[in-house]
Amino acid sequence: MALAEAVLSTLILIATFWLLIARQVRAAINGYAAQSILLGGLAIALFAASHLPHLLALGILTIVIKGAVIPAVIKIQVRGTSYRRRETAYYVGFPTALLIGAGLSLIGLVAASRLPFHTDLLSEPVLGLAIAVILVGLFTTMARRDAVLQLAGLLAAENGLLLVGLVVSPGLGLLIEFALFLDVLIGVVVMAFLIARMHETIASTDTSELSRLRG
Amino acid sequence: MIDASLLVAVVALPLLAALLSLVVAPRFQMPLAVMLQVATFGIALTLIARTLQTGRIQAFSSWLYLDSLSGVVMLVVAVVCVLAAVYSVGYLRHELRERAINPSELRKYFFLFHLFVFAMLLVTISGNLGLLWTSISATTLASAPLVDFYGSHEPLEAAWKFVVLTVAGSLIALLGMLLLYQSGVGPLGTTFDFSIPVLAGAASHLSPTLAATAFLLVLVGFGTKAGLAPMHTWLPDAHSQAPSPVCAMLSGAELNCALLGIFRVYTLTAPAAGATTLRTALLVFGILSMVVAIAFLISQRNFKRLLAYSSVEQMGLIAVGVGVGTPVALIGSLLLVVTHGLTKCLMFFASGNLLLRFRTTTITEIRGVVRAMPWTALLLVAGALAIAGAPPFGVFISEFSIITGAFAGHLWALGAVIAALILLGFIPLVAPFHRMTFSNAATGEAVAGAELSTMSLLPALALLGAVLVIGIWIPTPLNQLLHNAAAVMAR
Repeated sequence: MALAEAVLSTLILIATFWLLIARQVRAAINGYAAQSILLGGLAIALFAASHLPHLLALGILTIVIKGAVIPAVIKIQVRGTSYRRRETAYYVGFPTALLIGAGLSLIGLVAASRLPFHTDLLSEPVLGLAIAVILVGLFTTMARRDAVLQLAGLLAAENGLLLVGLVVSPGLGLLIEFALFLDVLIGVVVMAFLIARMHETIASTDTSELSRLRG
Repeated sequence: MIDASLLVAVVALPLLAALLSLVVAPRFQMPLAVMLQVATFGIALTLIARTLQTGRIQAFSSWLYLDSLSGVVMLVVAVVCVLAAVYSVGYLRHELRERAINPSELRKYFFLFHLFVFAMLLVTISGNLGLLWTSISATTLASAPLVDFYGSHEPLEAAWKFVVLTVAGSLIALLGMLLLYQSGVGPLGTTFDFSIPVLAGAASHLSPTLAATAFLLVLVGFGTKAGLAPMHTWLPDAHSQAPSPVCAMLSGAELNCALLGIFRVYTLTAPAAGATTLRTALLVFGILSMVVAIAFLISQRNFKRLLAYSSVEQMGLIAVGVGVGTPVALIGSLLLVVTHGLTKCLMFFASGNLLLRFRTTTITEIRGVVRAMPWTALLLVAGALAIAGAPPFGVFISEFSIITGAFAGHLWALGAVIAALILLGFIPLVAPFHRMTFSNAATGEAVAGAELSTMSLLPALALLGAVLVIGIWIPTPLNQLLHNAAAVMAR
């Protein structure tokens, strides 16, 4: 079990890095889908070990909604324009982004080791990886100019939070997790709506063209 | 039983209104909105009155929970929302006449309007901290499409920035919430009810490190949504690009919902983490917000952005008041939540009239308001004095209490800094409205003298009356509510 959890959570962080350095919108969305499926897999693996029924529901929901539905919604929303375009615009170059991402991951691991945790289900390093996923995800949102990639960064960070949730509060309950899912789903719909509006208004999803408001 | 029904009704009604607004014809949208929002307002007041009698009310094993602290926020949200519904009628009728919008867009407007009210009221009655987080996040999701309502380049830019930054903030706050849960695992076991009463009961036994970390993350996360510097950068954009009734709700009501999240986690973590640490953090963010906001107030050319930066300043001051932490300062802060909410709402209504008449938000392009729109002129001048903190209005009493509170706690330097910052912000806020109102219109460009409509004036006049009354004599029930809420915060 310990081996499976370590492998899966490391793969989740790798998927987050994939998203961070993706050169195509398509690759970033696939990175998010992969990250979600791995996370769902981890929840199911934890169910196998603990027999907490809501972990199974959480795992299936994660794979279906985040691994399939949300990526599909985003793909439909950006089809034809920026989806296959290479070299999407960014504020931070790839080597720098990788370095900063690595630094943030270290911070996550160190922070997790310094907090006093009681965990039964997952071990402390997983918490470190989870915080690293959150930080790298949020950094992706800041480093990219493309609205779709900014959205993908936020979603990746949210998966990191779900992983933190698995570590620190397996007893938090299904209802809360449902509320979170609903929130994410509505968030994606709202942001996808705004991205569609960008296509109409500025014929692109490059947010650096949205810079008229100042002062 | 009655309490449970009322708690459900206060969120069910706006939700029902949202669903109805999807199916009714455009000409029924406005009467429907006003009717259902007035009913919601009535229920909210009943709930607050019951909280005053019994201390707190809860239902469904504390999933829904209302005490004096959330009651204060519910009061502002309810007043601002019902008046925004009435003001929307005057505002949108004018926009329809001018063909700035078409009747089919009313459906979208009111659907989102009601959802926004639903989300904000749900924040005030959330007893489960997971639900509290979810509903605070939901306020962003309901209001962002409203910011983009006019659908051109600038509103879209504002809406996108708003969503990206506040969602990122919400995620940081969620990490804080999860650490808060973890901090309770020691005293309460791995599986416990993540509700306000349960955590409050174990508050002094929470893990101190985790509780302090949780509060800091929530402060940064929800502070982003409350517009605290340096995470405030989205606020002037969003609060100036939305339609004016929505601006009033964003500034007057929504910011307070984010503050409630911070306050609630403060009350739960302070006993274990030590109030001094938490207060220091509040003071740092609060003072920084005031300084940054005043710098932007001074050079501001757009009157809606001016009001938005004033919100950043006031949110900072509210945080400072809690950071001071003495009973008088706490009451001052909570009173400022109420008086800032009402006064800022008044100012967005009045400046909305200005925008509709003159079709610009540039201060220097507007002259001679006192002749063109005498009632709006009165509202603007009195409102600007009120929001800047001049006596005898409510904001003055609140600010005075915070400063007095600092002196009472022997924080002499801090009290002096707060007073100096408030004074620095006074002229840049009052002068532009004074200039637009009293300077003479250049010959030939005088605007024909007419107010827009009664509906566009009455809500603002009601608010002016309210902040004047509060400034002179705080009504006993409100005073009681504030004292009870301060007691919750000081526990």
